[in-house]
Amino acid sequence: MSRTITLGPREVGLEEPMYFRVEVEGETVTGLDVVAGQVHRGMEHLVMKRNLYQNITLLERLCSLCSNSHPSTFCTAVEEIAGICIPARAEYLRAIADEIKRISSHLFNCAVIAHIVGRGTLFRGVMETREIMQETKEAIYGNRMDLAANCIGGVRYDLAPESAAFLGREMERMKAPLDELYRIYATDADLTARTEGVGVLPRRDAVACAVVGPVARASGVAYDVRTKSPYGAYDRLRVEVAGEGAGDVRARTLVRLREARESVSLIEQCLAQMPAEPACLDTLPEIPAGEAIAKSEAPRGELIYYLNTDGTDMPARLKWRVPSYMNWDALAVMLKGEKVSAIPLVVNSIDPCISCTDR
Amino acid sequence: METAHNDTSEPPLGLFRINAGSCNGCDVELAATAAVSRFDVERLGCRYTESPGEAAIVLITGPLTARVREKALRLHGAVPEPKVTVAVGVCPVSGGVFRDSYAVAGPVDAYLPVDVNVPGCPPRPQAIVAGIAEAVLLWKARRDGVPPPTAGSLPESGGENAAPAGVRGRMRFNAAACVGCRMCAHVCAGSAIRFDEEEAGLRFTLWHNSCAFCALCAHYCRTGALAVTEEWQLAHRHEEQYRLVEQGVVPRLPCAGCGEPLLPVPPELLRVAFRETSPEIARLTALCPECRQKESIGGTRR
Repeated sequence: MSRTITLGPREVGLEEPMYFRVEVEGETVTGLDVVAGQVHRGMEHLVMKRNLYQNITLLERLCSLCSNSHPSTFCTAVEEIAGICIPARAEYLRAIADEIKRISSHLFNCAVIAHIVGRGTLFRGVMETREIMQETKEAIYGNRMDLAANCIGGVRYDLAPESAAFLGREMERMKAPLDELYRIYATDADLTARTEGVGVLPRRDAVACAVVGPVARASGVAYDVRTKSPYGAYDRLRVEVAGEGAGDVRARTLVRLREARESVSLIEQCLAQMPAEPACLDTLPEIPAGEAIAKSEAPRGELIYYLNTDGTDMPARLKWRVPSYMNWDALAVMLKGEKVSAIPLVVNSIDPCISCTDR
Repeated sequence: METAHNDTSEPPLGLFRINAGSCNGCDVELAATAAVSRFDVERLGCRYTESPGEAAIVLITGPLTARVREKALRLHGAVPEPKVTVAVGVCPVSGGVFRDSYAVAGPVDAYLPVDVNVPGCPPRPQAIVAGIAEAVLLWKARRDGVPPPTAGSLPESGGENAAPAGVRGRMRFNAAACVGCRMCAHVCAGSAIRFDEEEAGLRFTLWHNSCAFCALCAHYCRTGALAVTEEWQLAHRHEEQYRLVEQGVVPRLPCAGCGEPLLPVPPELLRVAFRETSPEIARLTALCPECRQKESIGGTRR
């Protein structure tokens, strides 16, 4: 007896509103349809009504968990069109901002996973660890979510020696808790029982669905924009791509925790390598007519920007493809044959960013 | 906190979240107020609830998208009276950076009564907690049928709520340094900045309830007329929403040559342009562009 049920955000344990139409046979999922659009703010229309400067701030609010990736990739596209080479120091500072956001974003997802499997103490523990990052962001950038780090031609912040030392100390503080969290998520018998073999995405399907980010890397697809087509400072950094083969909820969570730990090392590399020079051009560059594509590895995977300009400071066209958009489809594969009760856990394991997808 | 009703036997007040199309910044910070012991809303005698029927205080985030409007209003309606509604972040109040979109149906107060606003993009958890504390005061007054207390003085922004140096709070405007170039309004994503021509001069107005606190205006201000302050504790009663403005008038002075009104050239701009100024340059600043041209041409004949 097949029937269709609708699941809303509250049953799915999401921070954001997303609804699913799920076909079930008894208690088993046979099909899934995503009902999107709750967070549609008409952003592709809005960015055409705003100039390139306004869009730096607007795009940062596409989504506050991936918030640095959007303006930095957008600015990269603008700089590509204008033929601007930003200072090397700015490239490192952009990478630092990106990696700080990655740690916070991955930890938030791991916290939600703990919350869903009913591990309240672990959930709060992960949030407390993440709080170190939140306070670091507030001290360096002045805001805990939206860093406002980027501008056309570089970055708007600089790390004075004492700030760089502070950031280095905070990174040192993160190491032990991150190693401990990895140990818990990898070895805790209850967590393993709840997440191992659940929501499996085999490598073949991962390729067929063209998934990106931690979802791909947990299914044995070692695709990471930072190493495949390095941008900014990443060609000078040693990036260890995290990989798992099982393609289940556990593998995706472990990939994120390893990446968070790897981000700490990347930030340390940046601090060690950064040359002393201005962090931004001090002129207002002219943006000629042209088009460009820029890519980056956002916390959820490959983010692509397309920008077309006509010589004014209003974009003629601006479009982006967000990583979550690629990963939604894989849910149908992951959930087929799973119990209805597993839906919240599996949905959260792709770390879906609804405000990115709906925009 | 007032203590008249802090009877420990009272059940906690339910907090109900409505995501009205938020970018999730405010929502993630709300999660922090639930999970992180330093912010812990339970200190206020509150607890998050998943069911609107158990709630007393509604926390709305996001600009209220057209798509979510009906659902959000239905959920809000399911919360029993007396209830108090808190707008978290600037989006529910003004639309924030999403203003003027075909897909945004807000502001929220066009559809339901809002009681407290917590400006920020997103606000610090400490600011959200201050807004919730204000909501608790209002809720108790409504329950007891007494007039609401005068707006509670906000908790200390120091002590355990202290923000690190450089936290991005509200913007401050210094009219004496403004050249009226309007670059700040040009780069403002939320259209929070307006310039109006007045008898006295050029009026600058910035509405904090539409500001994303990104400080891009200050970044592009060449004379430092706009500066970001560390004042982040901005929670207020909704009826005060339009009083949260930063204003200033840049006076027009008569040109020393022809008397036409002109915006004076502030010393900050001269420093950017010339590094060093001379009495000659200082004299030229009192002239309108046309008189300066004449002066220059005449100068060659001297």
